[in-house]
Amino acid sequence: MSFCLNGVGLTHANGFAALKELTLKAEKGERIALIGPSGAGKTSLLSVLGTALAPTVGTAEVLDFGQNFRSTVALAKLRSRIGTVHQSPPIPGRQRVVTAVLAGKLGQWPAWKSLASLLYPLDIPGARAALERVDLADKLFARCDQLSGGQLQRVGIARVLYQQPELILADEPVSALDPTLALATIRLLVADAEARGATLVASLHAVDLALGNFTRIVGVRAGQIAFDLPASEVGVPLLHDLYASEGDELPVQAHESHFLPPAAANDAATRAACC
Amino acid sequence: MKPTERDPAARRRLIGGLATLVILWPLFQAAEVKPGVLFDPGNLKVIGNFLAAFLPPETGTEFMGYLAKATLETLAIATAGMALAFLIAVPMAYLATGAGREKATLNPVTRSLLTILRGIPELVWALVFVRVFGLGPAAGVLALGLTYGGMLAKVYAEILESVDAAPARALRHNGASRPLAILYGLIPQASKELASYTVYRWECAIRASVVMGFVGAGGLGQLMDQAMKMLNGGEAATILLAFMVLVFAADGFSGWLRRALDTPPANRASPFGWRSTLFGLAVVSGIVASFAYLEIGLKALLTVEAANSIGEFIAGFFPPDLSADWLAKVGQGIWETLAISVVGTLLAAVAGLLLALPKWRAPFSFLLNTLRSVPELVWATITALAVGLGPFAGALALALHTSGVLGRLYAEALDNAPPAPGQALRLAGAPGGFAFLYGTLPGAAPQLIAYTLYRWEMNIRMAAILGFVGAGGLGQLLYFELSLFHHAQASTVIIAMLLLSIAVDQASAWLRRKMN
Repeated sequence: MSFCLNGVGLTHANGFAALKELTLKAEKGERIALIGPSGAGKTSLLSVLGTALAPTVGTAEVLDFGQNFRSTVALAKLRSRIGTVHQSPPIPGRQRVVTAVLAGKLGQWPAWKSLASLLYPLDIPGARAALERVDLADKLFARCDQLSGGQLQRVGIARVLYQQPELILADEPVSALDPTLALATIRLLVADAEARGATLVASLHAVDLALGNFTRIVGVRAGQIAFDLPASEVGVPLLHDLYASEGDELPVQAHESHFLPPAAANDAATRAACC
Repeated sequence: MKPTERDPAARRRLIGGLATLVILWPLFQAAEVKPGVLFDPGNLKVIGNFLAAFLPPETGTEFMGYLAKATLETLAIATAGMALAFLIAVPMAYLATGAGREKATLNPVTRSLLTILRGIPELVWALVFVRVFGLGPAAGVLALGLTYGGMLAKVYAEILESVDAAPARALRHNGASRPLAILYGLIPQASKELASYTVYRWECAIRASVVMGFVGAGGLGQLMDQAMKMLNGGEAATILLAFMVLVFAADGFSGWLRRALDTPPANRASPFGWRSTLFGLAVVSGIVASFAYLEIGLKALLTVEAANSIGEFIAGFFPPDLSADWLAKVGQGIWETLAISVVGTLLAAVAGLLLALPKWRAPFSFLLNTLRSVPELVWATITALAVGLGPFAGALALALHTSGVLGRLYAEALDNAPPAPGQALRLAGAPGGFAFLYGTLPGAAPQLIAYTLYRWEMNIRMAAILGFVGAGGLGQLLYFELSLFHHAQASTVIIAMLLLSIAVDQASAWLRRKMN
């Protein structure tokens, strides 16, 4: 088992209930896409899985670790096995790309190595290999503030590839990338997870990206699971139901879609919403 | 993939590191750094006796009356001086800064004027103005106004340059004028930093008014001078305590202001509520009250007599003594002053960073506030007892005070640094220390380096003044020559101070560019 959330509720300090009695289980190696309207609780769900937030009710177990049980050493160990691709890449602008990528293994490296690596990057081939997979090997020694937003996002993904976590969490990982690159990046994450037998949970804004690349689709609405089905069983009426609060159009990535009427996919509002 | 791939930056880093060592080593020699002396039992005893004389603090009614009056006067000098400085700083900063310009222009005229204003220590300005207006607070207010005007303008300009320039650039491309682009694009990002620096400078002004009190510019300093001359440790202790209370209050005020700036605006058209209105009224009435309390006749400034006496006094300094003997002596003084400032600032940067790191702030804020509420000159009298007269005493005094200042500024900068990178690394299992080194520190580093270099520029001036109590350097020369009325020699020293501060200014700007 990779993770198991049982009756998890999450109420923020301001009283807003982001998750309500949510139950979700995943086996090792599953690839799950979270979809749903904005504000549904996708980010909160990922935060609980990433141990950033402790559930206020219910139990959460991640990688065989009862997370409600708190211990800093064990928790740090657990966290080094979880990799997160963030919505906006959390990388300081003045850091060099090589250092930013190597930082993925800070949880696994001994202290001397982490310290020495600040003076001289100790695993240049490793960082280069990770960057090659996102097509950025030429930026190895560039500084992060010289990169474009999309390039920086790919550095964030390279960091997770370098970390080689057992559980990959991705919060709208490709919302800053153009459609072609977004598709390639999602495929890369999926292939990496598949090759290493890691579990992948990604929240996606574009339903076509989710349906086309993931085996299991979890619809989230108002802090609860609306449906949890294999991709092949997710139909248009179900999706319209899920996105009822956002109007008639479904958010998609690519302009030509095989399950939506072309008019809807090419509609300007849809493009503005997803690109 | 090449198996023997090298980091292209490594060579430059190595050379930079070695060059730093080669430069620093003789400076540490010149500052006569001898850490062993600190723990010499004889010296420890002398300090112990000196500090013992501080107890119990004087609490007599008559003295408390004087103290209250002097405290008010100090506050008023600092407030009036700051008001003047602010009036000077805002237009100068606007002219000097490259922020909001489409083409980077370094306005050389404004920048050099600012350098001259800041380059001559307020104590020297105060001496000039005491000549013109006689003993009293007017000299202090003007000296503060000019020096701090120069400093504020420079820091304002730099803060505006250090924030993200994209919003202002976008506004300018959409046709906004430069002032509007700065107001809409840069001020919202910089307002916290600007406000806290201004309040922090006001605090420094309180401390500076003490130093100037020693040359007869009124306030707590004059009282302190009298207490020290009569070797009245109890009175000195009470004055120091009053001082700390002032600085702590200013600190609380600064914190309140920062929180107020963080509060999201209320849901109404005007961004100014009753709180902002009240605050504005309080500031204005405080400034008016300060000028009224000090009874400064600003008209006296504009008379022909005043102009004449300034002219005569300044004429006495010309021509400066440029004989080879004297120049050699001044050169020696420059080297020593430079060493004091570099060593003091470096020690302070290390200590300040260590004191800024702990999460549980309360005891460390208290320690930092205590360190910086005692002026360098007072620290120097204590460190001179601990390690003997000479440059090391000066460097230590600078380090003690500056670590309080830098520690606090570092803590604020770390607080303002974007939290997301460090947070993300912690979520990926990095231990707290490394999440800080890899995630938080790179984001805060430009600010930390700018604060340190800027502080070094101020410390070079302070290093000069420290010589007044025997801590070596140019100040010692100036003090001797002024007390012997050797104005031509003093003039050479003042020019040396100015040149040194300009050189440090340039070096610091170059280092900052290099770091970016």
